[in-house]
Amino acid sequence: MHKAGVKKFPYYVGVNSLAELATKDDKVCVLNILGNESKAVTPTSHEYSGGNVVFGTGPGRSGQALETKLGPIPVYNSIKEARAKGLKFNTAVIYLPPSGVKDGVAEVVRQNPDLKKVIILTEKVSIKDARTIRAICQANGIDVFGGNCLGVADAWNKVRIGGALGGNKPEESLVKGSIAIFSNSGNFTTTIATYLLTKGWGTTTSISSGKDVYIHFSPAEFFHALDNDDRSKGAIIYAEPGGYYEHGLEINKPTVACVVGRWKAKLTKACGHAGSLAGSGDDARAKEKWFMDYFGVKDIYTPENPVFSKKGAVVTNIAHIPDALTKVMELNKIKPDFEPKGDLSLKCWFGNSQGLKLPKELDALVVKAIEPYAEQIEIISKQLGAQYPRQSMKDASGATMMDAKTQLTKVYNVSLLDCSKKSLEENLVFSLIKDYPDEYGRTLANLAFNVYVNMHGDAALIAADAAREAESSPNTALASAIAIIGKGRVKHAVNEASLLLELFQHSGLQNATDKFDSAKILKGLTAEQKELFTEKTPHSAIRIPQSEGDKSVFIKFVKEAAGGKPSSDALLAAIWMTLGWSALMRRKISKSTIINLPWYSRIFSAFVAASVDSSKHEKDKFCGVRSQEIIEKWSFTETAFLALIGRKPTADELFEFSMLLGLLISNGPGTISAQGCKGGVSADGPEDPTRVQINKAFIGFLTHTGFAHGGNGYEAIAFLIDRFKDKNLKSPADKKHGLNLKAIADEYAKWYGKYKAKEKAAGNIEYMKVPCVNHPVFKGKAVNYDPRERFVNSLFEEKGIYNVFFDFYHNLVQTLFDNKVSENVYCVNIDAVIAVILLKMVWEPFKAGKISEKEVETAAFTTFLFGRMIGCAAEIDDHINRGRNMDTRTPASSCSFVG
Amino acid sequence: MQLTGLLWGGKLLKKVEFPCADVLGPEASVDEIKDLIKKKGQVFIKPIFKGGVGKKGKSGLIGKASDITAALQEKERLYFAKHPAGTSKADGVTFEGGVPAKHEVYFSLSESTVFRAPTMTITHHGGVDIEELGKDKIKEIPFDPLTGLKSFHIANALEELGAPSEIISPLVQHLPKLWTLYNNYGMNVLELNPIRMFQDNAGRLIPVACDFKCSFDIDDPAWKRLDLPAHLFASDYSEFEQEINQLRTYQGQSDVFVINEKGTITAPTFGGGANALVTELLGERATISSDFGGNPPYTKMLEISKIVFKYWLGQSNVLFIIGGKANNTDIYETFRAMADALRWYFQTYGPKPIYVVVGRGGPNLIRGMAYMKDTVESLGLPYRFFGFDSAMSEVVNYALKTDEWMEKEGKKQLKEKMGI
Repeated sequence: MHKAGVKKFPYYVGVNSLAELATKDDKVCVLNILGNESKAVTPTSHEYSGGNVVFGTGPGRSGQALETKLGPIPVYNSIKEARAKGLKFNTAVIYLPPSGVKDGVAEVVRQNPDLKKVIILTEKVSIKDARTIRAICQANGIDVFGGNCLGVADAWNKVRIGGALGGNKPEESLVKGSIAIFSNSGNFTTTIATYLLTKGWGTTTSISSGKDVYIHFSPAEFFHALDNDDRSKGAIIYAEPGGYYEHGLEINKPTVACVVGRWKAKLTKACGHAGSLAGSGDDARAKEKWFMDYFGVKDIYTPENPVFSKKGAVVTNIAHIPDALTKVMELNKIKPDFEPKGDLSLKCWFGNSQGLKLPKELDALVVKAIEPYAEQIEIISKQLGAQYPRQSMKDASGATMMDAKTQLTKVYNVSLLDCSKKSLEENLVFSLIKDYPDEYGRTLANLAFNVYVNMHGDAALIAADAAREAESSPNTALASAIAIIGKGRVKHAVNEASLLLELFQHSGLQNATDKFDSAKILKGLTAEQKELFTEKTPHSAIRIPQSEGDKSVFIKFVKEAAGGKPSSDALLAAIWMTLGWSALMRRKISKSTIINLPWYSRIFSAFVAASVDSSKHEKDKFCGVRSQEIIEKWSFTETAFLALIGRKPTADELFEFSMLLGLLISNGPGTISAQGCKGGVSADGPEDPTRVQINKAFIGFLTHTGFAHGGNGYEAIAFLIDRFKDKNLKSPADKKHGLNLKAIADEYAKWYGKYKAKEKAAGNIEYMKVPCVNHPVFKGKAVNYDPRERFVNSLFEEKGIYNVFFDFYHNLVQTLFDNKVSENVYCVNIDAVIAVILLKMVWEPFKAGKISEKEVETAAFTTFLFGRMIGCAAEIDDHINRGRNMDTRTPASSCSFVG
Repeated sequence: MQLTGLLWGGKLLKKVEFPCADVLGPEASVDEIKDLIKKKGQVFIKPIFKGGVGKKGKSGLIGKASDITAALQEKERLYFAKHPAGTSKADGVTFEGGVPAKHEVYFSLSESTVFRAPTMTITHHGGVDIEELGKDKIKEIPFDPLTGLKSFHIANALEELGAPSEIISPLVQHLPKLWTLYNNYGMNVLELNPIRMFQDNAGRLIPVACDFKCSFDIDDPAWKRLDLPAHLFASDYSEFEQEINQLRTYQGQSDVFVINEKGTITAPTFGGGANALVTELLGERATISSDFGGNPPYTKMLEISKIVFKYWLGQSNVLFIIGGKANNTDIYETFRAMADALRWYFQTYGPKPIYVVVGRGGPNLIRGMAYMKDTVESLGLPYRFFGFDSAMSEVVNYALKTDEWMEKEGKKQLKEKMGI
C-alpha cells in the first residue's frame, strides 16, 4: 500500500523535479539536534540555507537551544510539544543513534501530517528497520533519503538539508552550475563537485544517497527528476557494487557514470558501504555494463582511451569524471559553466625526505597550498607549542590512563612500571614536559628543586606548623603551606619565562643546548627588560657554575642580559626554559605550560620543604644537612628521603624509594586525588589559563587524600609491625636475618583461619581481611600473581636487593592456602610492595625508638603524597590545557537525593 | 555472518516449530547413529563448515549410508574435508536422517533491491541450484514488512507455478513461521533447500527442512538473542578483523577487510567511496581495505590505529592515510589519534623504516596535518602530504611508486638513516 505520487512509479515518489528537492520553502526539524554530530553540522547547514531549521528535538532537553550565527534554534522534548507551539515543517532530518531511527521516523510521521521528506544521516541502521521505515513512509507519502547519507544540497537555491555536504564551507564545493550529482558516497558527492570545478562545471542539485541495502531515493527517481529540472543540463552518477538500483534506468540527459569497486567481488562480508556487497549479477563489472549499454559505448573512458558518446561515458576513477563530462558535453554543444578553477595535479603541501636520495618522480616539491589553507599553514608554522581543542575533562584525562584489564596505569603512554625505574626529579620533569630529561636536564632540575627546599623563616612553614599543632593530617598541613605558594610568589619567574618565550619563539632555536648565537636578541633588549633579569639583592639564591650555565642558551642569555648578575627568578625561568624548550618546539607542550614551569617547580620544592616542621629549617641547614651541600651535590630524591627519614639514603634505598614513588604516581583520572586537583582547575576556569591557580589545584589534590586514600598504606605497615615488633629483626635488608618466616606466617594463618571461621559463624561478613593480599582482577588461578608485584620482585632480584617483609608476604600467601584459609594461592598485591619498601626504610629508627608508630604512619602518608604529586601535576597541566570552565560539575539531573 | 547446515539451523527452526530432519552432531556415538539409521533407513553425512561456503552437494561432499560401517567410513572421509571453492576446512560432520519424499521445495526469504521489500522466492522444483531453473519455474513475491509473509502469498505463488495441489496446504500452514524467524532474529537471508514433503502415518504431507542457510545483519543486534556460540562466526573474520570489530559502534565506521597478508602498503582509508576506489587501485599491494570515516572520536580512532599498526606496520613500506575532502570528519582529531598511535607503535615495537603518504581534506585539515607532520618529523620518517586538490588516484599512484622504491632501495637507505 502506498500513497499516490509521481504516476510513473509503481511505488510512492513525491519529488518530480530536482529543483523541488532542496528549496528555500523547505522547513526542517532535526531529531537529536544536540547530538555530537548534529551540533557540529546543523549550524552550518542552517546558516548556509538562510535559516531553514525550525526546531530540533532531544528528549529531556526542552528549553535548550542550538546556537547559530542566525540565532538560536529552539529544542523541544518531542515533535508533539513543538507542534503544539504551532511550529510547522515539511522535512525531518534524523541524527538519532541506529536503534532509535525507526522510532524517530514513526514519531515524526505520526505527529506531522505536513511531512514530505525524511533524511536519515545515521549509519548502521539495521535492514529490518530500513524496510519498516520504507513501509511507513510509502504508506504516508513521504520521500526518504539515506540512511548513512549526507543529505541533499542545491547550489542554486543555496540550501543544504541533512548532513554536511560541502563540509564546514559548503560554498567552496557547491558552486552554481548545470550538473546534477547522485552519489552512493557522501564524501565523493563533495569531492566530485570539487573535481568538476577544475573543468569549469558547477552543480545544481547534489544527492548523497547513502549505500545501505535499502536506497529509498534511487537512481531511477533521480533520473526522472533530472529530466524535469531545466537547470540541470547533465549529470554525474557515482555507483558501487551491490543492488539492482542502476538496472533498467531511463537516462535522457548527458551523464557520466562512475562505477568503482571491482575488487569487492571477492568480498564475503561488507567493507565500507553496508550495501556494497554484490551478489551474482550486481557486481561492479555488471554495473559498468549496464551503463555502457545505456550510453551505447563499448569501453570504459580513460584519458588514454577516451570512449564516450553523446549520451555519456563510464569511468572507474573519479579523477576522470571532469574530462569525460567535458567531452560528452562538447558533443551536446554544451559549454562549461565558468572558467576552470584549479587542477587535479599532485600538490604536496607538507614534505620532508629526511635526507634520503629519492628518485625524481617521488621527490615532490612542497608547493603553496590554495587559499585559505596557505594562510593557515603560514599561521600554524608560526604557532608554538601544543594546541588542544577544549572539551569537558570530567572523568577524562589526556595525561593518565588506567587499563582496567591489566590494572596498569600509564602516564603520557609510559607505564608506571617504567616510571618507577626513574628518579623523583626525572618523573617530576616528565609529568610536565612529557619527556625524561637527559643528564644535564637532571642536574638543572635538581638545582631548581633543591635551592628552594630550605624555607627558613617562610610563612608557608608557619602555616604548616600551625596546622600540625591543630592535629591536622599530613596532607592538610601540606595544603596550608602550598596555599602560600600563590601566583604572587612566582610572578617574577613566570614573567621572565614569558619574556624569554617572547624573545626566542621565532628565533629558530630548536633545542636549548644547541649552538646558537643570541647576540641579536641580546642587542634588541630594552633597559627595562635587562632590569627584569637582574638580581636586586646582594646575592642570588641560585648559582650556576659557568661550565654548566654555558651549555644552555637561556642561562647564558640571562646572565649576559643581567650583566653577570642574574636574579634567582631569571635563572629559575632560564632553567625551565632549557628543560621545556625542545618539547615546546615539537608541540608536545603548550606555551601556557612552559611559562608556568617555575611555579610548579616552587610547589614541588615546598611539598618536600613543608613535610618537616620549621625546626628542621635552619638558616644554612635543612634537616641537619648544609643547604649548600644539598644544592650542589644532592638529588631531589635524596632530599625527599632526608625529609622523611632524617638521613641520606644508601644506593639501594634510593633505588627502592624512587621505585616506590614511581608506583604511586597515578591510578588514572578517576581516583579521588586526581578528581580533587581537576576540580581545582575546573573551578578557576581553564579557558583562561592565566586565571588558574596552580597551587590551589594542588591543594585540591591534597584535600582529596586522607586516612582512607593515601593514608591507608599504613594498615599493611601496622600489620607487619605486629608480626615483627617482638622478633629480633635488626636489618630488613639482611637475608641472614635468622627468622623463620614460614613459621611466623603459619602462626598467623592458623590464627586467622580460626578468627575468620568464628566471625563467619557469628554472621559477621565484615570481618578483618589480611591486608595487601588477593586482588579483584588477579584471582581465580591455582597460584595468582599481580604482574606489578612480579615486576618489582624481578627488579629486586636482579639488583640483589632483599626485603624481609616482602619475603614474609610471599610466605604468607602460601601458608594461607596451606592452612585452607584461601581457596588458591592469593597474589601479593601492589599495595604490599609499597608497604614493605616503606617499612624497610623506617625499620631501624623505629626499632631503635627514634621514631614512633605515629611518625611511621606520617612518613607512609607523606610518601604517598610525594609520589602522587607527580601524577597530579600531569593531571593539573592537562586539565588547564584541554578543559572547559566548570567542566567537572555533575548536572542536577544525574544527582540523586537519598533523604 | 552466515550459518549453514542443520546442526545449528535445526535449533533455530525449532524456535518457530518448523519441522526439520533429525540431525546428530560430530560427537554422536555409534549407537546413536545406528538408531538413526534404523529409524530413517538411511543417513546423510555432511561436513560442517563454519560461515558461508559454496554448494556441498556439487563438490561431492555429501555422503549417504544405510549401515553403520558405511556411515563411519563417510565420517572419516568428510571429517576434515576441504571445500574446493575456498580455503574452508570442515570441522566435523553431521548425520542427518533421510526424509523419503516425492516432492522437494525451495524456499528463501531475502531483501530485494528490485522490489525494495522483503521477498519470498519459492519453487516446487527444489533440491537443485535455484540459478539452474528457468524463470517460469520460480516465483519471487515481495511483501509488506509491516504485515509480514502471509499464507495467501504462498498459496497464490504455488498456484501460479502450478504446484501439485497436495503440497500447497501444508506449505501454507508452515512457511509463514519462517518469517517470524527471519524478522525476529535479524536475518537478511534465510534459505531452505530442499524442504522435503514427508508423508506421515496418517497420509498427511509435512514440509521437513533438509538443509539450512542463513545470514545475519551485523547491524541488527537481534541475532544475539539466539545465544549462538561465537566460534560459529569466528571463521568469517580474521583475528585482526575480530579485534577491530570489538570497537564497532555507530560513532564512526570501523570496517576492515584483509586484502593481502603479505601486502606492503597499509592504508587507513576514510569514507566508503575512498574505500572502494583506493582498494581497487592498490590491488594486492594493500594489506587491508578499510573505512574509518564517519567522524570517529579520538579514543576510538586511537584504538583502531593501534590495532592496525600492531598487525600491519611491521611489514609495510608505506603508511598511506587517504580520504577525500571530508564533510564532517574532524581531521585534527583523527590525525592526532593516528599520530599518537604511530608514536605508541614506535615506543612499543621499536622504530620501523616507513614512508608516510597522506591525501586528505576536510575540517581542521591544516591543524591535523601539522600534528601529523610534527609526529613523523620527530620519528625521523620521510613523508609527503597532499592537499585534497590533488586527484585521489594520483596520490594513490604516488603511494604505489613509493612502495616500489622502498622495496628496492628506500627501506635500506632509511634503515641506515634511522640507525636500525
